[in-house]
Amino acid sequence: MVYTQKHPALLIMGILMVALGLLVQFGMMTEVIKYLKIDKSINEMTTLTYIFGSIAIIVGLFHLFGKHREGHLDYYLSTVAGATFILFIAMVIKWFIDPYVAVLSKSFGPIMGDKYLHEVFGLNYVVLGILAGIIIVNVFGIPKWAENGVRLSRLGLKTGVILLGTLYSLAELQQLGGLSVIMIGFFVLGSAGLVLWMGARRNIPNSMGGVLAAGIGVCGVSATVAAAPVVQAKSVEIAYTIGTILLWGVVCMFLFPMIGKMFDLGPVQFGAWAGTGILNSAQVAGAALAYQPDGIETLKVAEIFNITRVLILPIIVLWLAVWYVKREENAPGVNLIRVMFEKFPIFVLGFILMFALSSTGVFSPAAHDHGKYFDNNLPVEKLLKEEEVNLIQSELNTVQRELHKVTLGRLLENKKIMSLDDDDQIRGLVNSGVLSKPVNEILKKAHNSVFRTAPKIDMFRKWITWLFAFGLVGLGMQITLASIKQAGGQPLIIGGTVGTLKAVLSLVVVLLFVRETI
Amino acid sequence: MYVPSDNTHCTNILLASHGTTGACAAEQVALNLQRDRPLKLHHLIVVPDFWKDMLGDDWLNNAITQIRFGHYVESQLEREIQQTIQRVNTAAESRQIPYSFDVMLGKPTQCLLQLAHAGRFDLVVIGSPRPKTYPGLNSHLEVETLQRALPVPLLIIPFPQTDDHHPATFSTTTVDAVT
Repeated sequence: MVYTQKHPALLIMGILMVALGLLVQFGMMTEVIKYLKIDKSINEMTTLTYIFGSIAIIVGLFHLFGKHREGHLDYYLSTVAGATFILFIAMVIKWFIDPYVAVLSKSFGPIMGDKYLHEVFGLNYVVLGILAGIIIVNVFGIPKWAENGVRLSRLGLKTGVILLGTLYSLAELQQLGGLSVIMIGFFVLGSAGLVLWMGARRNIPNSMGGVLAAGIGVCGVSATVAAAPVVQAKSVEIAYTIGTILLWGVVCMFLFPMIGKMFDLGPVQFGAWAGTGILNSAQVAGAALAYQPDGIETLKVAEIFNITRVLILPIIVLWLAVWYVKREENAPGVNLIRVMFEKFPIFVLGFILMFALSSTGVFSPAAHDHGKYFDNNLPVEKLLKEEEVNLIQSELNTVQRELHKVTLGRLLENKKIMSLDDDDQIRGLVNSGVLSKPVNEILKKAHNSVFRTAPKIDMFRKWITWLFAFGLVGLGMQITLASIKQAGGQPLIIGGTVGTLKAVLSLVVVLLFVRETI
Repeated sequence: MYVPSDNTHCTNILLASHGTTGACAAEQVALNLQRDRPLKLHHLIVVPDFWKDMLGDDWLNNAITQIRFGHYVESQLEREIQQTIQRVNTAAESRQIPYSFDVMLGKPTQCLLQLAHAGRFDLVVIGSPRPKTYPGLNSHLEVETLQRALPVPLLIIPFPQTDDHHPATFSTTTVDAVT
């Protein structure tokens, strides 16, 4: 079979990308850039459009005029059109639609405290990208020439998680790992057990109970896909479960950031809550990025929870297999080694490898200047101004923790952050949301004045953001209303009950026990 | 009861059924039409195309798990189709009704219309949509579209009378024809 389609779409997208790059580079979009306040993206807008636009033009010309024969080259090159399609949508949303929504939202004024409409509803490039994907697939359908490449979105997300490995310190990984094992362990086992218990009470078949327990308990559609063959789920049971999880996932992706903002959760708290309470793993990443689109701290926390879930998945599938075999006479035997081997998420090894490499300092060599904590010759404009000092002092009483008070005292005395430890405390204080927005802005400025990220790490951050944007737009294109409409029956009742309980209880646990600093 | 308007020897019936309660009722009525005149029964089973997207937004699993899931769903659907074909075929054989079938992947309404236009049928028989409280897939025939576009009369069989504690029962006296 020849996969490549002779279609001009890829070539047109390539030309549009390069044209956009040229318009930006030669200042023909200055007014638009000023209006949308996207000056920070100018560099990206020229480099990314030139790189991917050129690739699209070259491959697009080959698609249109080349001779295509069955084989690996044909298959891999056929994916470029779909991948470019997703990337092009992600670019348009990230550079134009997202900033325009922000401008529009700000024109209405704050609607909840000092938060604007788009902040409350988490309407940023991630959510808008997923929405765009959902609208495209359900209203227009995926074009034939793009079908093959759209599947690459999964690869984008997995690569994003692998690169994310470079951003953790050992202490972060230890503490987040420990927290996630406790929370995921409790809530996964608890919700899976509760589904099985409710299922038995409501007389649903064991196969339905098994597949639903995996889906609701562990990581949504991924767990359903992994568990369905093991518990011999019927087709209608699979459809019910996946429909319920997709419906729940899409709703949660919008609700969680809103509720998180209402409770003023910090990145660690929100990441932990989303990573535990949202049933479907794709929407965990979506909600984390929706909550903090301009930073990556929430995503870092949420993805550790996602990784913990996926590591638990083979164990849960195995448990369900044994549970099912014990209850069904005609159940097939379980090959423990095969289940463990097949379900083990290989991309997590990539994550661990990148973390290990990062720990050796290969991405941030010893010569790299980590910060200017000891530099007493900072330019005056980088130091705190008198009115900023006064503003911070006016809110000192709202700070409860003694360590935060001492750190703020040192900052006020020196008008700059004096050590890495102080910097950690200040970031924790900002993330906790205790102080007002203007004070938090001053503290962020103080952090930026002394902190410097290694260039390679900074590059990884940008790549990760793009990979997730790419992956989530593509995943949005795989959420069809026809699948969501299958939600119903007992799975909707049981899934709705257990899902709500899990979301509420995990929020309570996060509010009570999870602190902002790691 | 519906009586075809032409004088051909056999009535060619196109039955759309996929094993649900409503569809089973349609099967019974289609087979019972033999009482009035000889029949040929062509059975259409549609696999709804939403199954193509049932991998949803899974991104965590390895390819082998996704492939295994795809094979499993396919084999499940095939088993269910074979059971339906077997059941209708057995019932048709016992009444000496010539039986044939088609399995199509797509939207049920479009598949039925495509087949109805392609073949030479005298009557299309379908079941009624299930009541909302009744379990089943959310994929049904759009009666209005069929009414407008079918080239032959359409017979819609009412959903069998049910109560909470007993399996569905079907009364042959409640047949309704739409032409």
